[in-house]
Amino acid sequence: MPRNKVAWRRFVFVVLIIACLALLTVSLRESKSGPVHSIQQAGVSVLSPMQSWGATIAKPFEDGYHWITTLWSAHKQAESLAAQLQQLQGKAVQFQEQADENARLRALLDFRDKGTFPAGTGFVVCRVVGKSPTQWNAWAEIDKGSADGLQIDQAVVGATPDSTDNLYGKGLVGKIVSVTAHSAQVQFISDADASVAAKVQSSRAEGIVEGSVDGDLTMNYVERDLKVDPKSIIVTSGYGGVYPAGIPIGIVSNVGEETVDTYKKIDVQPFVDFHVLEEVMVLITPANATGVTSSATTAASSSTTKTTKNSTSTTATSAR
Amino acid sequence: MLSREELVMVGKVVLLLVIGAILQTVILSRFSVMGVTADLFLILTVIVAFSKGPIEGAVFGFVAGIVADMIYYGHLGMRALVYVLVGYCVGLLVMRFETINVWAVMVLTAVSSFCGQLIYGIFQYVMTPRSGFVTMVWRQMIPEAVFDALVAILVYVLLVRLRVFNPKPREAKLTKEGTE
Repeated sequence: MPRNKVAWRRFVFVVLIIACLALLTVSLRESKSGPVHSIQQAGVSVLSPMQSWGATIAKPFEDGYHWITTLWSAHKQAESLAAQLQQLQGKAVQFQEQADENARLRALLDFRDKGTFPAGTGFVVCRVVGKSPTQWNAWAEIDKGSADGLQIDQAVVGATPDSTDNLYGKGLVGKIVSVTAHSAQVQFISDADASVAAKVQSSRAEGIVEGSVDGDLTMNYVERDLKVDPKSIIVTSGYGGVYPAGIPIGIVSNVGEETVDTYKKIDVQPFVDFHVLEEVMVLITPANATGVTSSATTAASSSTTKTTKNSTSTTATSAR
Repeated sequence: MLSREELVMVGKVVLLLVIGAILQTVILSRFSVMGVTADLFLILTVIVAFSKGPIEGAVFGFVAGIVADMIYYGHLGMRALVYVLVGYCVGLLVMRFETINVWAVMVLTAVSSFCGQLIYGIFQYVMTPRSGFVTMVWRQMIPEAVFDALVAILVYVLLVRLRVFNPKPREAKLTKEGTE
């Protein structure tokens, strides 16, 4: 045994290190059934019940600790999910808007394809950017103007979002009454000053569809002798040169026939709901195409649809 | 033969090891912070070496390491080697600098923990080269060193309050040893 304390200390240290290295070497080199592993397994078998009891005792504390840590992480997760939800809701709204716009534009294109328009008619799709602030007038402002080929007295048609495959929901909107380079004012046929030469499609009875301040349409000047059935379709007659013939206006909702009146008074339910219009199509007929800018005439042989975040533009020409 | 005082001390250390093993397996191994758990075996080795000296620290580390290797199904001798080195070095440092306070315990535990993890990490890297050594420095070694240091303060203060160890007489003894 070493004589002094320092030597003894070093001796013990070296012995312990050698013991550790020996154990480690044997532990690494021997098989799982070797003596060192057997000792280790015996030790584990002694300690494992203690660990088991410990687990049972510690379970409530462990649960409490996990509850607290989970609460914290759950709080953070909730904040994160709320932010994510808000972001997704914004995207959902955006997608819904785009889907609605797509549906409306499809309805307009369907109307262009199925409607009866003069051959060579050009179509300029415009976005409604403003409407009459009062009910005294019924008009809308659109985002296209003379630079796009629009002129005063051009007919405007539209389709409501809920329009079906048939012509329901698609029809005459009005005409352009004022135009600037990049905007135009469309007077609705429901305006009190608006009047459209029209005829009943089934009986061919002719008359004038007039608007009113309350937005109702009335067809006047229809001969009393002519038969007009309710639910008959009213279309433009083409007289006057503003509206091409055959554009659907609405259906007969009521036929008034007083004995003292010279003419029938027919209430017309318009196909288009003027309150929900967001896009309309301006008809550029060959008659008023003179002076139309190149953008419209060029588009006479092609169909282009552009949908962006802020503007929508479709220019097309009927093949008929 | 051991004196009565030495027998009491051995009894205390053995009891400390048993209680430490129970606490480590029952409580500490079940509560992790940032993915690491405190190593009570290493903390007790540091404290024993700190309070009693390098031989006691090394012997305690050896036994604690064997127990830890059994509990954690490690290679028998690996942790024992680390703890022996830690116990001996800490004991020597304290003997040399004669610094006994709670901050020294904290710093020595942090350094010991980091060095112990480093040795263990190198061993693991040699045995399993795929283990990400650098990643483990940030994810395991440094967090555990900090965690061990904080727990060591609590354990040391508790043991001093319970009069398991009495630092002041040890300081006097150290001074005596220094003159020998």
